Amino acid sequence: MSKQQPVVRAVDLLVGYGGEPVCAPVSFTLPPGRALALVGANGSGKSTVLRAVLGLLEPVGGRVEVLGRAVDERETGFRTRVSSVLDDDAYFPALTVAEHLYLTARGHGVQGADAVVEELLTEFGLTDHAAALPVALSSGQRRRLLLAAGLVRPRSLLVLDEPEQRLDVAMRDHLAERLVAEKQAGGSVLLATHDPELLRAVADRAVLVADDASRLLGVGDAVDALRPGVL
Amino acid sequence: MSRQRGGGPDAGGRGDAVDAPAQDEFAVTSADRATAGTPGPAPAAWDDAPAPAVRTGSGSTPVPGAPSIRRYTAAVARRRSGAALGEVLGDVYYAVLMLAVAFGVALGVAGQLRSALPHVPDHALPTGISLPTVVAVVAVVVAGTVLSIGARLGPVGAGGAEATWWLALPVDRRGLLRPASLRLPVVAGLVGGAVLAVLDGGLLADHGLGHVLRLGGTAALVCAALVLLAGHLQSRGVPRRTTAAAGDLVIAAAPLLALLAALAGWRLAALPDVPVWLLAVLAVAVAGLGWWLDTRLGRIRGRDLRESGSVATQAAGAVVSLDSRELGRALTDSAARPRRRRVRRMRLVRGPVSAVVVADLTVLLRSPRHLVQLVVSALVPVVVVITPQLAGPLGVVVAVLVSGYVGMLATGEGARRAEMAPVVDRLLPLSARSVRRARLVVPGVAMVLWSVAAFAAIGRWEGDVLPWLLLGLASAPVWAAAALRAAYRPAPNWEGPLIATPAGALPAGVMGVLSRGPDVAVLGSVPVIICVVLGTVVPAVLVVQVAVSAIAVAVGTSTSTTTMMDRLSEATEAAEADKRRRA
Repeated sequence: MSKQQPVVRAVDLLVGYGGEPVCAPVSFTLPPGRALALVGANGSGKSTVLRAVLGLLEPVGGRVEVLGRAVDERETGFRTRVSSVLDDDAYFPALTVAEHLYLTARGHGVQGADAVVEELLTEFGLTDHAAALPVALSSGQRRRLLLAAGLVRPRSLLVLDEPEQRLDVAMRDHLAERLVAEKQAGGSVLLATHDPELLRAVADRAVLVADDASRLLGVGDAVDALRPGVL
Repeated sequence: MSRQRGGGPDAGGRGDAVDAPAQDEFAVTSADRATAGTPGPAPAAWDDAPAPAVRTGSGSTPVPGAPSIRRYTAAVARRRSGAALGEVLGDVYYAVLMLAVAFGVALGVAGQLRSALPHVPDHALPTGISLPTVVAVVAVVVAGTVLSIGARLGPVGAGGAEATWWLALPVDRRGLLRPASLRLPVVAGLVGGAVLAVLDGGLLADHGLGHVLRLGGTAALVCAALVLLAGHLQSRGVPRRTTAAAGDLVIAAAPLLALLAALAGWRLAALPDVPVWLLAVLAVAVAGLGWWLDTRLGRIRGRDLRESGSVATQAAGAVVSLDSRELGRALTDSAARPRRRRVRRMRLVRGPVSAVVVADLTVLLRSPRHLVQLVVSALVPVVVVITPQLAGPLGVVVAVLVSGYVGMLATGEGARRAEMAPVVDRLLPLSARSVRRARLVVPGVAMVLWSVAAFAAIGRWEGDVLPWLLLGLASAPVWAAAALRAAYRPAPNWEGPLIATPAGALPAGVMGVLSRGPDVAVLGSVPVIICVVLGTVVPAVLVVQVAVSAIAVAVGTSTSTTTMMDRLSEATEAAEADKRRRA
């Protein structure tokens, strides 16, 4: 990939359901090694934009590319390079926490999966629950499992939908550190968030997603926009 | 932790809220905008994309095959379930036995029906259509149903955990989806084949076992082929609602076809005897369709797989828990248009009661599947009375009860949704009983329309339309009350003693709940049944029907969740306790 090649490029991307847009068109590029946050009120369309970037939703208008290629999640090449943690809360009832991570790591051909999984279990405070079935986990622990699964595999782009949800303050801090490290390792992060602290710590820029006009903001303005009563 | 600031340019900047400067690496360039929406050069292939920027582990190994991932998941699930091979075989044996018993019962019922129906040789039919023609029409209905339900359920899907954990893996999805792609065609084939075999072997019973087997085999292959075809359409991005609508149209066309055949004097003397070679060709064609679908499994979009898997999971849960309302919701919502609806201004609403009525009417009118169901059910008695070999008291009674029940189910959609989410009803300044009464209006009007069509046909067959129309109008509230009672039935109670049924042992509480609705329909239709058996509408019976309808309405609008027997039992216990206290 050339240095100038953005990881994500959305041009007048219009998203919605059944041909009806849910927000104004958004335009942005996400360079390698950078993080871009989507901010906006509840229901403004942040998750819908993320789903369009992931190919889980057909755009109503405009276009979106990942690594200079058309988004197509049916391509194994796309799935190899794009990791996502959405608001899914579904698990194999018979697989333990560790087995979910092994499945993901080995399914992506990670060599030394044992060490990687052990490390992530420790990092996300799941070591004591490694042998637990998902039904025995709290909602916060399940969230941590999903985040660990997003990080256990190779990627160029990490897409996160409100990753701070159901995490305690310490884990939010750790997540912020992890995402900063992700950028330093050359990965790109696209996240939707309501957390000003996470935004300030991780994002390089932000896109305000709204009904009337979606705008590219600096992080300071985005943090201001997250204050109560602004959105 | 002291959080760092993001490291990008203008990271903390202000004042760049409007269009970002051109050199901003996060802003799109004018060249990007110029090419938006216009076909550009040939898109780059994903195979040539640069390697992932972030790697985990000490390197990479070849990605495992999809079947090994599927087998691993299944093996762990089997190990944790604790089920030994003997138990699994026992379950399979029990399931096969149950299906065989159910098939035998159905065959017996069809045979009984045949012996009780009027014996009119085909060549002696004065007018109308022949019994084989009716069976052919039923075959069309089965085909439409298979296509419609197959499309609503996917037919290929990956639900819940499979969607989250499997679809994100960079493996060939065909290996993951293969079992799911075969499941519905096999079930559809079994159901379609069984229905046609029962009708041919039980109701027609003219041509011997070989004929029945060949016809059943043909039906099974055609049904499997239809579901495979729906899978192809899914892989080509055809919306599920379009395929489901095609199936619904086939169902709607079936009774019209029967009426057309009656008018044109076209009738089948017998169902065709399918030669073995044709059966073999069909089998090869179905295998080819299956192979073709297999090659296209990887082209089905993830969102389609997720939606289909979600619907199939919801439907399977409803079947396992014997919740027909949930099953109906799953099948209806799966083919609903995602597009926003035109906002109705609800000008007809004049108060809380009319709000409930208008809401119910809107729900019904926005559900084409239920409108089709209502129309088709109204035409069933018409088809029966124009079929001399069915047009006897038994045939007409069965037609009225079955089609009335099917039609009634279509009218209760508003009530079923209100039962699921009662919060809107609670916002209205109405008592629960008043809400129930208001909810009776739409099913009542719809079943009046159904009664006009059904009882006019019966009256014409009996030679006196007006009394039969009056009887139909008098009995319409029974159906509306039954629809309401079925919609508001409580969740099945899985406790209590077991009752042996052809489908296996069921707790008495479940049977009690499942019979809520059909009980009122059957008991409330006794006067109608008496009139059909007598062949005339006796005025005294008509009066009784009016009284029975009033009782049915009272029962249907009751907000009590306990049965009369429970209430009597509780009252007795309370009286005895009171007596003991005084003693």
